[in-house]
Amino acid sequence: MSTPALQMSDVRKIYSMGDNEVVALDHATLTVGTDEIVALVGPSGSGKTTLCSIAGGILSATEGSVVVGGEAISDYGDKELTTFRQNKVGFVFQSVNLVPFLNARENLLVVDELGRRQGKPARDRADRLLDELGLADRAKNLPSQLSGGQKQRVAIGRSLMNEPELVLFDEPTSSLDTELGQQVMELIRSEMKSRGTAAIVVTHDDRITEYCDRTVRITDGVLGDD
Amino acid sequence: MFLALKEMSRAKVRFGLLTVALGMLVFLILFQQSLQNGLLTSFVGAIRNQTAPVLVYSVDGQRVIQGSIITPDLEQLVTTADGLGDVGRIGQGTFSVTNADGELTDTTVLGYEQPLLGAPAELAEGRYPRAAGEAVGASNDADAGFGLGDTITIEPSGYEITIVGLADDVQLNAGATLFVAYDDYVAAVQSANPDAGTPLPNVLAAAPADGVTPEQLVANINGLSDDLDALTRSDAADETPGVAQVQQSFRVIFLLYGLVIPCVTGLFFLIITFQKSGALTLLRAIGAPARRLVTSLLFQAVLIVIAGYAIGLALYTPLSQRRLGGIQLRFETTAVIVWAIILFVLGIGSSLIAARRVLRIDPIEATTGGANR
Repeated sequence: MSTPALQMSDVRKIYSMGDNEVVALDHATLTVGTDEIVALVGPSGSGKTTLCSIAGGILSATEGSVVVGGEAISDYGDKELTTFRQNKVGFVFQSVNLVPFLNARENLLVVDELGRRQGKPARDRADRLLDELGLADRAKNLPSQLSGGQKQRVAIGRSLMNEPELVLFDEPTSSLDTELGQQVMELIRSEMKSRGTAAIVVTHDDRITEYCDRTVRITDGVLGDD
Repeated sequence: MFLALKEMSRAKVRFGLLTVALGMLVFLILFQQSLQNGLLTSFVGAIRNQTAPVLVYSVDGQRVIQGSIITPDLEQLVTTADGLGDVGRIGQGTFSVTNADGELTDTTVLGYEQPLLGAPAELAEGRYPRAAGEAVGASNDADAGFGLGDTITIEPSGYEITIVGLADDVQLNAGATLFVAYDDYVAAVQSANPDAGTPLPNVLAAAPADGVTPEQLVANINGLSDDLDALTRSDAADETPGVAQVQQSFRVIFLLYGLVIPCVTGLFFLIITFQKSGALTLLRAIGAPARRLVTSLLFQAVLIVIAGYAIGLALYTPLSQRRLGGIQLRFETTAVIVWAIILFVLGIGSSLIAARRVLRIDPIEATTGGANR
């Protein structure tokens, strides 16, 4: 049996706010298979983004174990987490997604620049991804010259540049209209499935769940399957 | 450097304006440095670049050659000073003259009794006076009717002085200056004012004996009388009334530049950092080490300081060869090097404030939208 893309066991995240403690994630246990797409659904403040941030190495868990693609990251420090994010995960955020002074192709290539710097193979990969995403003719456009849907597609391309074990989508369609949102979700599904890459799609929109293999609900930091 | 160069290439106007602004500041600093040095040289170059290591004024003269009068008693007293090697008279007068171009103008004439005590230290052209009616002029005045071989006529007497040598940076009071033998000076004074009698020397030029420093000789002479005011050559130049004030004024100006430059570069990079905080947060979230982003920012700062300095230097170089009125400007190599170091340190140092902001970026803000705030 292959190694799961994500194994979270008994993960807790507690924020200290003065004398009070806020439990953002409470004993969360979640496994995501190698090419599984999981929808993480919950209301605002339920802990969706916290879970995703811990899985992606942006935040550290207070307790519990997190293993991504066989790499245990629970005890990693800032430097190790930075390297982990470079190499093992891809991100598509809700609001801030592209570097405004880089064109579409450079927004993909920046991943290579920050990491191992493969050079030509990375450039070829960026061109291939842009082509697959239907953006070959937009490669030299700056983000300000792209539509909302095109920006999200570039962000998807960037998230796949480092050939990640797991891609984390945080409300990827929230800034798009329904039709464009569906197109983007279809694209996410086809890209993930064609690569055998796992994904977690954070959303509060139940319509998104149709494009995912499984839905996990979260309320007040507690996970529960559909 | 990928990020740094890409950003600069996409924001040419923004970065270009900062570079030009820095270039203009560099130009102003270097130009004013030349102006300061040219101004001071034209005021006291004749003192700074003459041969006597020590000049003795009367206290009443308040360190102005023409205002000082050395009485025979004081002159006799100076000759008794311990550590004195040699001593000679210097006289100074301002005369109306007709220069070689036929123009009537004011000229300072400095008469020295001994060539090694008061003559220009070095000649750029020609020779020292050997006969009556010969002078060394300032090369700065050569194009203004005081060139080599030109004859100057003191008015209204018609006493003629021919320039047989030229020396660099030997003006006094920012005007045409002639160095003549002391007897010629006396003759010039008497020709201009036949009733003047024999003028007293204005200052004494002294040299220490072997093994005695100019500073020791100054102390010994000043210890002889409260009416004597001996100064080393450099002190005599620096303490001429007005010199300290000019230096102080320029120091204040340079201090202001020293404040403006870090403010301009520091604020620029701080504003840029705030403006692109979203992009920086995103980059941190996708795995950019903070160190890499700081390096990128400092690389931009280094490029801008270097380019700004190059622009400033390119503007300054041709102007530094010119003459402003009676002031000869000069390319100040030391100032160029020192200011390059100062600006580099100030420019990069002030960018560290922005770098600190970059180091504080928390990648979690990419998920909360905090980077956009």
